[in-house]
Amino acid sequence: MTASSKAAVFTIAFGVAYAVIYVICTEMNLPLVTYHPVIGEVDVLWAPPRSGPAMYWYGWMLSSLIGALAVAWLAGFVPEQWVQRAIFFGCVAAVGYLIFYTVALFTYDKAPVELEFLKSRSLAVAAALLAAIVISFFAPMRWQQRLWPGWVWLVPIGALAVLAYYLTPFFTR
Amino acid sequence: MTFWTTLLIIHGLLAVALLGAITHQALAVWMPVRSKAGNFVTRFRAVPSTSYVTAIIVLYLATFVMGAWIYTQYRFTSRLALEQLRFFKTVGVFEMKEHVATIGLIVLPAYWAFWRQPLSEDCAEGRKSVTLLLAVFVWANFLIGHVVNNARGFGS
Repeated sequence: MTASSKAAVFTIAFGVAYAVIYVICTEMNLPLVTYHPVIGEVDVLWAPPRSGPAMYWYGWMLSSLIGALAVAWLAGFVPEQWVQRAIFFGCVAAVGYLIFYTVALFTYDKAPVELEFLKSRSLAVAAALLAAIVISFFAPMRWQQRLWPGWVWLVPIGALAVLAYYLTPFFTR
Repeated sequence: MTFWTTLLIIHGLLAVALLGAITHQALAVWMPVRSKAGNFVTRFRAVPSTSYVTAIIVLYLATFVMGAWIYTQYRFTSRLALEQLRFFKTVGVFEMKEHVATIGLIVLPAYWAFWRQPLSEDCAEGRKSVTLLLAVFVWANFLIGHVVNNARGFGS
């Protein structure tokens, strides 16, 4: 199950890149514009609320759109297996980060002594990147030859899981 | 307020049409009918799934644009009321709805590419999966929208 038409490669790369960039823009609050619905005004980039609440959702979508279009456009110029390898590497690194950081926090909680370094995100990132390099190196070649269309549902579901996790404060108040 | 209520009703009607179309297509592609159509459920599954693609894309875009427009009003009327009433779970699921709608929107180009004629065998699994994903998103957003409207709909 692979996709090699130009349209399929572009749209898969676009979907995957958009989902990832959207999560980053949402969590780091990086809108291209800020809309103030009460006064109907728009500010460029992030702006604090003015005369009522500010809306950043439109800005996050626009920031992600620009980033995803750039990534998808670049994907059209590189061999298909590079796109597949890049997405594979990114997904393994993301899952690895999740596992390493969770294990580190669990260990920190249970350890009888203070292990402050386990709370460092950069340590989990480094471990995840290392794991992704090793797994990508030993992954079967047939996994890395052609672009897998399944990325376009798998990565957005992962993105939604992360977004849902960050919304948990609404459900625990 | 009449203006926004009218928009909300149109948004709801578009969502119903989209829900019907995507459900038809998802069932037809995941549970294709092998024999002659018989009862209601079998006939529901027996539709030509390719004929729904353009309608689903247009309906999704139209529903999304209407929802994004109404959202501006929701943000400083209904949401503030929901927060004052401490309906945080309702606010939370609506936040999720905006993310689900966005992720569904960005899956649409791939959905279009996978369903492009002539249908590619290479994309058969991707086609099925993306159609199911869109169906789940549309159902989830429809139900969330319904719940939020019940909690604090326009005019309440």
